Amino acid sequence: MRIGTNWFKSLALVVGVGVLLAGCGSGGQQTSGSGGASGGSGDKVYVVGTDAAYPPFQMLEADKISGHDIDVMNAIAEAGGFKIEWKNTGWDPLFDGLDKGTVDIGISSITITEKRKEKYDFSDSYFEANQLILVAEDSPVTKLADLKGKKIGVQAATTGEEVVKKAFGDTYEGLKGYDDMPSSVDDFFNGRVDAVIGDNGVLSYYVNKVKDKKFKLIKDDSFEKEFYGMIVKKGNTDAMNKINEGLKKIKENGKLQEIYNQYFDNK
Amino acid sequence: MDWSVIYDYRELFIRGIIYTVLLTAVATVCGTFLGLFISLGKMSSKRILRWTCSIYVELFRGTPMLVQILLIHFAVIPSIWGILYPGANSPEAIYSGFVALSLNAAAYMAEIFRAGIQSIDPGQMEAARSLGMNKGLAMRQIILPQAFTRMLPAIGNEFIALLKDSSLLAVIATPELNYAAMNVAKSTLERYPPYLTEAAVYLVLTLFLSRVVVRGLEKKYSTR
Repeated sequence: MRIGTNWFKSLALVVGVGVLLAGCGSGGQQTSGSGGASGGSGDKVYVVGTDAAYPPFQMLEADKISGHDIDVMNAIAEAGGFKIEWKNTGWDPLFDGLDKGTVDIGISSITITEKRKEKYDFSDSYFEANQLILVAEDSPVTKLADLKGKKIGVQAATTGEEVVKKAFGDTYEGLKGYDDMPSSVDDFFNGRVDAVIGDNGVLSYYVNKVKDKKFKLIKDDSFEKEFYGMIVKKGNTDAMNKINEGLKKIKENGKLQEIYNQYFDNK
Repeated sequence: MDWSVIYDYRELFIRGIIYTVLLTAVATVCGTFLGLFISLGKMSSKRILRWTCSIYVELFRGTPMLVQILLIHFAVIPSIWGILYPGANSPEAIYSGFVALSLNAAAYMAEIFRAGIQSIDPGQMEAARSLGMNKGLAMRQIILPQAFTRMLPAIGNEFIALLKDSSLLAVIATPELNYAAMNVAKSTLERYPPYLTEAAVYLVLTLFLSRVVVRGLEKKYSTR
């Protein structure tokens, strides 16, 4: 290729298109949800990480993160009198960020487990969850054990995956761990997996979303009750105390219940 | 750092290695065949054929592999299945993986073939034609064998690129090697052991491919 006018033309084209796109995209600022109330102690802004792909707990809407957990955390910050800044990190980088210190607090429907407690500190719980099994409407499945030998979709590294591993082994061939819950539900409706196991909040949300599809949700009583908590780096008592203080306040004044009703009422 | 997790999850890794090798091998074979026809299409005298093949190549070379995988797995295959076999289950992720890798490889292979074929002196074609061969026969007997030797290094590179690209299939839960490592890392919260193990396996595989397979082929088909 001759470097000359052609080269110049393509450069001009690229720059032109770039400027156009930038023009269109301005105002599409990356999210930073409304922080908590100002005031309180010091001016430290706590970075709150989340994986905004778990509706209705945390989701991306246009250019901002929203959802049950987001409202809860904002209310806690307001009640506890500290400032927060939101960051949509994704699930794995959230834990990584806590380790590295780029994220102070994690709230992402994180179930309080013994294993996680070894590495991180949890706040008090703000939500009680249990696992549900999503199967076809005419499926004979009534409990987890019935799924033996079948393909089960879960979100990798969630408690849904843990119950399957506990029941069928760590390297169970039928276990499909997806990056996010919507993908596994997608593949369930595409018939690629026979069942999906996940938290009640998320799966119930889908029930309301896809009314035209045929499926049912099953509760297996052998599943342990689960509690969601906020997570901080081990030993970060400063953030932990503030969170628990705020959480206690919104539990007492009914704000937590109010947020819950907003998302899960009559479901 | 707890290296015992590798042993605990060895089944996942072994299954992952098998699937990775299988995916790469099948996609290379399919991609080479498809790519050959697409490259011939690109050089055809029929405009429609030429354009179709050019658009195909541009599409697959100009978009990220990850986007292609997501599109094919979550959108294209379920729709096609919905039309062909209403009510039936879509094929599994591994199948989407084969399709995505093969189609992607075909686009790159087409360009490798085109370059290889066009690098052969046009006099070769003319000589073959003047001996009374028709175009197809001359292509098969005279041009392609010569072009093939010149293309081997590039094909080897594509083979290796495919092997590495197959790791992207983890996003659709294809049980390949990267899926295994990611799954172990997420479940055990161990970072170094699974990812280092995975990296080492990929390294061994690519070295084996470039040193043994490609060198061997080059020796076998070398004209010198």
